[in-house]
Amino acid sequence: MDEARFEAFYRRTARGLWSYLYRLTGDEAAADDLLQKAFFRFLRANPTLASEEHMRRWVFRTATNLAFDHFRETKRERARIEDRVHEAAAVEPRDVLRHDMMRTFEELKPRERALLWLAHVEEADHEDIGEALGVKTKSVKVLLFRARKRLGELLTKKGLAP
Amino acid sequence: MNESCRFESEVLRAAEEDRWTESLRRHLTECDDCVAAAAAAPWMTRFARTSEREHVLPDPSIVWLKAQLLRGTADVARVSRPMNIVQLIAYFVVGSGWAGVLTWKWAALEAWLRSFTPTGLVATAARASSLSVSFVAIVFLLASMTVMLALHTILAED
Repeated sequence: MDEARFEAFYRRTARGLWSYLYRLTGDEAAADDLLQKAFFRFLRANPTLASEEHMRRWVFRTATNLAFDHFRETKRERARIEDRVHEAAAVEPRDVLRHDMMRTFEELKPRERALLWLAHVEEADHEDIGEALGVKTKSVKVLLFRARKRLGELLTKKGLAP
Repeated sequence: MNESCRFESEVLRAAEEDRWTESLRRHLTECDDCVAAAAAAPWMTRFARTSEREHVLPDPSIVWLKAQLLRGTADVARVSRPMNIVQLIAYFVVGSGWAGVLTWKWAALEAWLRSFTPTGLVATAARASSLSVSFVAIVFLLASMTVMLALHTILAED
């Protein structure tokens, strides 16, 4: 892949991938880092994929794996979330909504976050989600149902349910 | 059974836009998957739309350049792997050589070290030699190898 093609692909993919990684990790610096790592791997592997959609899926799958590795390596996720609860007072009023939503989302497990984001925002089908998360396609339906239920319970608990 | 419900996309759209048809409402009474999807969809949509404070992404040309540099580093690591293995073997050979020589000639070495006294020096001079030429040659060889290996290690690190 030459630089011009990569740049075009990056410009179309990076924003969505960054949002996904940011929502998954809750950390801008980690999202930046994982985004770059995913693209480094993409360039190193230089996959000969037919379409841009395939390349996009490849990068999302790699980024998901990297994010899960990140969780395993740091093992500080729970502590970080707890810290953020204490940081709440320092948030600017215009960011309160985003901050509250991030905190709610962070209460889910990493895999549940990935499932929900891929299904609702990326509008990925079960096969793509299964591929990205390294689970069987037939398991996605059950896992997604559980993730949605859990989010629903959290929203009800916080009085945010529709 | 493992596919998503065929009404799911319609349910998601209806939940996001809050535009429900009678048939979709009826469907919700008999499909747990769609009930869960409908409960999550509006919140997920709002969540996805919350801004990320205009976060500036890394520039693609920088990502490209870094990837090329990393590829270069990976290539260097791959090429130097055999050299590193040879170096490890050399460490082992030299270390074993010294251990072997010290074990083999420990008694003679001990006597030789004890001879570094005024009387010992005179006695040693009178005997002309206390260690064999082959031993001295082996020590010289091992010492040379040790120095070369140390220099190689230092220069390679630089």
